Amino acid sequence: MKKILVADDEMSIRLLYSEELKEEGYEVYLAANGREALEIVEKVPLDLVILDIKMPEMDGIEALRQIKERQPELPVLLSTAYGEYRQDFATWASDEYLVKSSDLEDLKSAVKRYLKE
Amino acid sequence: MATERIAFLTQMVEVLTSTISFGERLNNMVHLLARHLKVDLALYFGLDKAKETLILNLSSQGPVPPHMRVEFALGQGLVGEVAGTRKAKTVQRSQPGVLAANQALEKLHPAFATLVGFPVADDNFLYGVLILVDRQERHLTQAERQNVHLATLMLAGTLRQALLQEEAKKRIAELSVLFEVGKAISATVELNELLERVVTTTAKVITARGAALQIIDATTKEVRVSSEYGEIPRACPSPGEILATPPQAGELPHLQGQEVNAAGGTHYFLAVPLTFKGQLQGTICVYDKFAPNGDYLPFDPENRQLLYTMAGLIVNAIENALTFKQVESLAERNERMVRNLTVVQVLSRALLTTVQEERLLEIILQGLTLDQGLGFDRAVVLMVDEANQVLKGVKGAQRSAKLKDIPLFEALLSSEDKEVKVEAWQMPLRPDQGALAQTVLQKRPYHVKEPARKTGRPLALPPDFAPSEFFVAPLVAKDRAIGAIMVDNQASGRPLEEEPLHVLRMFSTQAGLVVENAHLYSTIEANNRELLLIRERMLESDRLAALSSLASGMAHEIRNPLVSIGGFARRIGKLVDEKSPLRGYVEVIQEEVTRLEKLLREILDFTGENLSFYGDHELNKLIDDTLLLVQRDLEACHIKVIKELSSMPRLHCDDRQIKQVFYNLFQNACQAMQQGGALTIRTYPVEKEDGLYEAVAITDTGGGIPMEVLHNIFNPFFSTKDYGTGLGLAIAQRIVSRHYGQVEVNNELGKGVTFIVTLPVAKYCLVKEPGHGVAPASTLKAPKGGGR
Repeated sequence: MKKILVADDEMSIRLLYSEELKEEGYEVYLAANGREALEIVEKVPLDLVILDIKMPEMDGIEALRQIKERQPELPVLLSTAYGEYRQDFATWASDEYLVKSSDLEDLKSAVKRYLKE
Repeated sequence: MATERIAFLTQMVEVLTSTISFGERLNNMVHLLARHLKVDLALYFGLDKAKETLILNLSSQGPVPPHMRVEFALGQGLVGEVAGTRKAKTVQRSQPGVLAANQALEKLHPAFATLVGFPVADDNFLYGVLILVDRQERHLTQAERQNVHLATLMLAGTLRQALLQEEAKKRIAELSVLFEVGKAISATVELNELLERVVTTTAKVITARGAALQIIDATTKEVRVSSEYGEIPRACPSPGEILATPPQAGELPHLQGQEVNAAGGTHYFLAVPLTFKGQLQGTICVYDKFAPNGDYLPFDPENRQLLYTMAGLIVNAIENALTFKQVESLAERNERMVRNLTVVQVLSRALLTTVQEERLLEIILQGLTLDQGLGFDRAVVLMVDEANQVLKGVKGAQRSAKLKDIPLFEALLSSEDKEVKVEAWQMPLRPDQGALAQTVLQKRPYHVKEPARKTGRPLALPPDFAPSEFFVAPLVAKDRAIGAIMVDNQASGRPLEEEPLHVLRMFSTQAGLVVENAHLYSTIEANNRELLLIRERMLESDRLAALSSLASGMAHEIRNPLVSIGGFARRIGKLVDEKSPLRGYVEVIQEEVTRLEKLLREILDFTGENLSFYGDHELNKLIDDTLLLVQRDLEACHIKVIKELSSMPRLHCDDRQIKQVFYNLFQNACQAMQQGGALTIRTYPVEKEDGLYEAVAITDTGGGIPMEVLHNIFNPFFSTKDYGTGLGLAIAQRIVSRHYGQVEVNNELGKGVTFIVTLPVAKYCLVKEPGHGVAPASTLKAPKGGGR
């Protein structure tokens, strides 16, 4: 079973994403900020990470940088309420930049694409 | 004997002292002498003025008819011999050679036997010779000789007296002539009249048929003034001609001669030079002296002398008159100058009444063309176009008598339609472009006469504006020629006078400054206006920026909960049975969330939080791509699409944003034509001052925008529709202005609306920081059929 980490400071978003992804048959780990996300990345052999950008303690950009430093092969998707950072995602080396939407089809198809299912 | 002698001498003295004329006295004396001596004839031969010939003047037998006028040269015959020796002599016909030498006397006395000659002389002069003729051989006694001697002395005395009297008479005549001349020439100082009087008086006092006078300039040899009276058979000789004939010793220079005209008549002339102190020379010439019988006579030395004396007087009078004339013309010039300066002063005052360039030019042109101003027929102001290095016609005016009776100041300020069209005039500022260009290049005035022959012809002027004479002065401000003023008198054909030109020369400097100041003023004014506009735009963009940041802050806060609400609603929807009424409620939640998310996207688009990706794109392709997106909507509303796309260079733009513009405009069109219609999309290039633009005109047939809302259509959140954010046009406009383009609206009530989007091709390809002070650059054109 593929392991996916969802990091978002909003509890409701974490819940929504994990429910949806579990339903799709993934094992979902949750983190409330970048620091927690990194701890899980250290412990668990993950297949994909979904990072919010704006989070307390450590934001998604910093977490992305550190994850890519340690595991460059691990796909990381940015999912954010801010559309305006889209142009930077290439420099941040994230694999996908998704603007949050109540319709999770975009997110789910991106996940499927990276997990090569 | 003695008694007889006394009687003779008494009679002689009586005759001598009588008051009868000299001629009579001499006649009587000769007659008395012949009678007293009882000789057949007593003859008196007078020595002529040249002292070469002795001519028979008197005879004891009465007047000498012309055919009897006998003459002897000095030394010839007894007459000539006695004149030469001044001694009395008696000869007899019988003596050898006597008859031959005195043959001429046979005419008077064919049978003369004795001839006695006595000189008639006093201590100084020989007047002539007295000859006594008798048919018998006679030898005068001592007493007779003494008597004759006394008689010759009396004759000499009488002759001297006569000569003196004649001399005195001549002097008196000459004096009275000079008096006449003096009177004539002192009566006037007007030169032409004076000259006329001089020639008339001269001709009359010399009794000549005609007289002429000329005064020439000594350096240029041009005739300054001349005057003529009566018949002038030949031209008045020049002073040079006179001086070319050297005078004989003791004579003053003159030219005298005679000519035979075509009709065979002989004409005489006498010319003497007029010698002035200054640069002038002259001649006075008289023609044909009248003889008492109407014939023409040559002029004698006395005439010459008289003419000389008159010449002296004339010269003085003419010099006086010339001086007077100069003084007079100076005074006149001063008066004109004062008048012209007054014009300039009033003009300056009038120029202070305005700072508007247009008005200033009007006032200047009025001043130049008004009758009470400088009175030129036409005046044109030309200005330098620095950027293109050309001189351009700005404004022209022509003379008109309409404002003639109004005081200058008021006339200057009243405008009047007498314009000359000069806006098309344009000439490069190069030396080969004629006087107008040269005036500006050299910063000096040009006075061009007969320009057709010279290079001064103002090139590039319309053929109907080709003055034969014109004057052009530079408009100089701060040592820079900013333009030129050109004037002519073409319409009336008057020559351009020196004084008004001089005044124009002075005035042009002031005019240059005034125009330059006005120009600066209008530049400042324009800058001010622009600053105000920029300030207004900045205020608006500030307002928008504030709105943007508020909206974007809110949007982010709202998006997360929306995602949760929407996401869970979907999840609930999946769990709820299809037939359950809950299913409907959940769908409402989902739809509303979707609508809110769309609204959020639009707000974020408007607030510029979405970033730009610039590239080179074909405008027509962007339109086609966008049309695909709205194809379904167009078809649903039965809207026919008409495309008129011109092929144009690629645009530097954010394709996504530009597509958004077209999308919004197409959406608007669809909504305006719910019941069907036509959507016309036209693309075309537009040349503007700052470069090439591409325009898209999107026209619908939706009946137009109501007047009362027209001015609101670009306002964010304004909408006439029941749905939508109202941001469609505001977003479109914002995107276009970020691309340094413009959105225009042509509203035709009852027909439809045309939105024209104009985008620069390449000029402003740099992307500005989004959301910072970029002004919406839209304009609303006044709708047809009514104002706002």
